[in-house]
Amino acid sequence: MKDGSAVADIGPVINWIGLWTIVRREWSRLMRVPVQAFIAPWISALLFIFIFGFVVGGRIALIGGHHYLEFVLPGILMLNIVNAAFLQSSSQIYFSRFLRYVEESLVSPLSYAEMIAGVLSVVIVRSVITAIGILIIASLFGVTHIQSVWEFLYWVVSVSVVFGLLGIIIGLWANNFEQLTILNVFFITPLSFVGGVFNTVSMLPKWMQWVAYANPFFYFINGLRHAMIGFTEGSEWLGVGVTLALAVVMSVTVWRLFSIGYGLRE
Amino acid sequence: MTPALSISHLTKRYRRGTLAVNDLSLDVKPGDFFGFLGPNGAGKSTTINCITGIASPTSGTIEVFGVDTVKRYRDARRLIGMSPQEFNVDTFARVYDIIDWMGGYFGMKAAERHARVEMLIEKFDLVAHAKKQFRDLSGGLKRRVILARSLVHDPQLLILDEPTAGVDVELRRDLWRYLQELNKEGKTIFLTSHYLEEIERLCQTIAIIYDGRIVRHGPKKEFVDEPGGLEAAYLRATGAEPDHAMVPA
Repeated sequence: MKDGSAVADIGPVINWIGLWTIVRREWSRLMRVPVQAFIAPWISALLFIFIFGFVVGGRIALIGGHHYLEFVLPGILMLNIVNAAFLQSSSQIYFSRFLRYVEESLVSPLSYAEMIAGVLSVVIVRSVITAIGILIIASLFGVTHIQSVWEFLYWVVSVSVVFGLLGIIIGLWANNFEQLTILNVFFITPLSFVGGVFNTVSMLPKWMQWVAYANPFFYFINGLRHAMIGFTEGSEWLGVGVTLALAVVMSVTVWRLFSIGYGLRE
Repeated sequence: MTPALSISHLTKRYRRGTLAVNDLSLDVKPGDFFGFLGPNGAGKSTTINCITGIASPTSGTIEVFGVDTVKRYRDARRLIGMSPQEFNVDTFARVYDIIDWMGGYFGMKAAERHARVEMLIEKFDLVAHAKKQFRDLSGGLKRRVILARSLVHDPQLLILDEPTAGVDVELRRDLWRYLQELNKEGKTIFLTSHYLEEIERLCQTIAIIYDGRIVRHGPKKEFVDEPGGLEAAYLRATGAEPDHAMVPA
């Protein structure tokens, strides 16, 4: 017979192998749908770059001394990072609930923090791979500039984390496929499009400019644009503050949802 | 002696108001082969879910070898292996991966894990199916995978929720043999089943749950020695009248 007090010392403080297993497992699931996960966003980015940047953009004047294609690329990149992050975590959580294999992690010695960290690790990997693919495509058009690698990495990772966390919340909440897509259709896509992907704030009518500044997507796109071509229309530091605040608020929310078992435990 | 499983005043009320388990208390001795009987909807699976962490108890405490399953849930879960009634598996995953990932969740190092997975795949006669997707297996094979998965981390307490439901006679007998071997090695087994023959054959102690409460609990002998045997005892405990033909005059 094993005594409980003896058993208590067996486990490590952080279950690194368990955390790595979450990553391995989800990577395996992702590799079952590579077209959906990577090829689709790359083709979509290629079309955006070609049509909006190359064909239409060739007839648009320089913006802040940059060709339209250079201006629009960070927005296209951010659009795809946001989508990759959100879709990754929301589908990971939702399908594990739908097929009930989330119970495998619920009965194992994984802490909530490890489960969340595991999900976010895959989110970041998927976002970074998506971003690298788009940069390679953009390099074919000669527009891949990164002025500050650290700033670039900050925006890719922090925005991935924010939307990865948002995806977890939706994945826990959704009870059908329809609900899983609601946020993307009514919130993420519209806000990202009006957040300055294709235009500067100054191109908007005066009465709409305050809407752009109140839109968090503007700060994500503006931050990435500054990291890539040095062009900015707002404070990058305000953008850093917005992403950090969102990441903290959503981390606490997600941790709380896990700890009360929302959408996970009966 | 610290019980292998100690449930004290467990109550579980679901969010929609259903009271599934009502002030249930129960001790299981280390090394016991414990049969947990009850009709559908009596609270068997809910009790198991509360023990393993799939459901959160509304009130009461559960300890596994003295370790509280809520306060020290990580330590408690290392001691438990769980084979659920319904398949809770990524059906597109391969058999080997399903078992291997579970070992990973339990923090097993790669070498130890692979050795254990291969041993279990052999033991449960899954060698020819190791690379197949779970969804491509027959019902009996799926059940074997679930059992192998529950054993990958070599748990001290094995909880089996109707492990032989829907499997053929041959596999059922193989499983019985294997479970008896495990029990002889010192593992505590907590088994639910609708097959009274299975409970009678394997278990040393029996508890009957009805309407969320334990209505009877004791050594198997007490049940089988009654007029009409275990079946009559079970029917009496759950409020049904045994057939007259079952009970000798």
